[in-house]
Amino acid sequence: MNNGCFIYEDTFVHLLNLIFYLIQNHLKPENIKNTMYTPNLLDHVIVLKIEKNPEIISKIITSMGSFTFRSIYYVFLSDVDNKELIIYYLLLNGVKYKEKVLYHRNLKCVEKTINISRYVLHEVHKYKGFLRFKELENHILYAEIEPENDILFMVSHHFQRRLKNEYWIIKDVKRKIVSIYDKKKYYLVSEENFSLETTKLSQKEIEMGELWKTFYKTIGIKERKNDRCRMNFMPKKYWKYMVEMEDIL
Amino acid sequence: MELKDKLKILADSAKYDASCSSSGSTRKNKSGFGNVAFSGICHSFASDGRCISLLKILMTNCCIFDCKYCLNRKSNDIQRAIFTPEEVCQITMNFYRRNYIEGLFLSSGIIKSPDYTMELLIQTISLLRKKYHFGGYIHAKAIPGASEKLLKDLGLLVDRLSANVELPTENGLKLLAPNKKESNVSKIMHYVNTNQSKKYVPAGQSTQMIIGATKESDLEIMEKSANLYSNYQLKRVFYSAYIPVNQDSLLPTLEHPPLKRENRLYQADWLLRFYNFKVKDLLDEKNPNFNILIDPKADWALRHLNEFPKEISKCSYYDLLKIPGIGVKSAKRILSSRRVFKISFEDLKKMGVVLKRAKYFITCNGKYFMNYAFFQKEFIERNLVLEEKIPLNKIHEQLRFFNE
Ligand code: SF4
Repeated sequence: MNNGCFIYEDTFVHLLNLIFYLIQNHLKPENIKNTMYTPNLLDHVIVLKIEKNPEIISKIITSMGSFTFRSIYYVFLSDVDNKELIIYYLLLNGVKYKEKVLYHRNLKCVEKTINISRYVLHEVHKYKGFLRFKELENHILYAEIEPENDILFMVSHHFQRRLKNEYWIIKDVKRKIVSIYDKKKYYLVSEENFSLETTKLSQKEIEMGELWKTFYKTIGIKERKNDRCRMNFMPKKYWKYMVEMEDIL
Repeated sequence: MELKDKLKILADSAKYDASCSSSGSTRKNKSGFGNVAFSGICHSFASDGRCISLLKILMTNCCIFDCKYCLNRKSNDIQRAIFTPEEVCQITMNFYRRNYIEGLFLSSGIIKSPDYTMELLIQTISLLRKKYHFGGYIHAKAIPGASEKLLKDLGLLVDRLSANVELPTENGLKLLAPNKKESNVSKIMHYVNTNQSKKYVPAGQSTQMIIGATKESDLEIMEKSANLYSNYQLKRVFYSAYIPVNQDSLLPTLEHPPLKRENRLYQADWLLRFYNFKVKDLLDEKNPNFNILIDPKADWALRHLNEFPKEISKCSYYDLLKIPGIGVKSAKRILSSRRVFKISFEDLKKMGVVLKRAKYFITCNGKYFMNYAFFQKEFIERNLVLEEKIPLNKIHEQLRFFNE
């Protein structure tokens, strides 16, 4: 029963349980995929019955440290192909090197884990700044984002603290998930189960957008104009949802 | 005047202030509106590539002073505007809710008197904090010459409070800002420094110097910075390449702002703050200005080539920091990794250490990256200059300026 493509049931906890089962039983996966995966002809697909025990998380944290655990989690949130295999190899080495595993930067899985988790956190950080709310007629703040990675809840977490006295909605356009905040908690729901009462903007919205554009255009110093630098810090993919870039796009 | 026009005028006059950061504050906000992020957040990038984090505006561009380099000076015939406190609050709150900004940067021309201007700032910010319960980041500029009592009141409302040195020497000030006194600025810095706490100016103070409006050398500028850092625990000194906005016989005429020079000063500033360098390591009376062609650390390394190459597997943390191209993060990564395996050049790349410059100054397990016969000043220098890729016209501009 070696060398197959193992399937997990889409959750992080289940993936971790599966991986530990594989490690304990010396099974070497060729691949690990979630249930959405369409196998190709050569794949030897294996579905194991594995429990979903959340205690696995504290087990990893105690043996490999919380920093390692968090890094693994960010890899899971990423859009990288084969991320499950990277996590497998990292945990395999983690069993051996314990909390020092991430120091082994000459290992491919360590290099990848560190780079991917940095890439995910970087995107979260960018969206903390670049996300733009628009005020709807009913005073709800509404924003759309299109992140590469599955970070809607991390972004929501930030705005839960920042705009705690507001009703707001953030939509991940790519994954079709919506985060709804009711001044107490935010909820992630699939777009199918959700519809906006109105998409009309409030009266003030246009005026504020115009004011912001005025500010944006004024604050750049023309003697220092530097498009390349702007593009490096604020790649074009973000512009689509930013009011101040509307006229420039 | 429409709000939009006011905003245009008062943002335009504020844009030359280089400070933008919204970091370093630990102020807690329990019930109010918004919060601060310790590491700071950029919300946009302007056409000049600078980060936009704060709504950067002046309360008014009216001014009773006549600083030669400043757009707002009394003798300029320009359109003047003044915000009402309520207007500033409205814009700030509306921008903040939409996540355009991290907070407010409020400075001002001096209207009527320093005290009067300070009171206006206090009134505005206190409205924002108390009526609107604004919990976001606020950086205010203290007005030199205002009373200590007002300095105290303002500092309790903001995250950062600062005063600009403007020019690196008292002589420069006398020449270009005859109404300003250095002692007024140092008084503010001293007061803020001695009173700083979790409640009073929690994010500390910063300052700014204009580069290239007067003839000070880089040595004089760096010495000034070093003094400011040690005397007042400044969080940052900002360097702002002089941009001519006025015609004046006392001002230099420049085709381009000295951006490369500004960049070198920032690099050297980092070396002072995080890399244990002293000003005298970098510059002296004989070489009072930075090499425009090579960054200050590489320049230093070339002058001390006998201390190189450094062996990655053995040298101390501080020695790692001396290697051109190796920063604090890379040095820490090397330290933690070399305990568990032997680091090769390949591994350094994997670890995200940029080898472009570093490779000339290191060995990994005794090996140099190419034939060791090439470990020579001329060879390395030539390659480093090529790496920098500065367009030639920029170099001419800089050199011309230095030779004047
Ligand atoms: S005090 Fe000097 S620098 Fe400040 S606004 Fe007035 S003229 Fe400009």
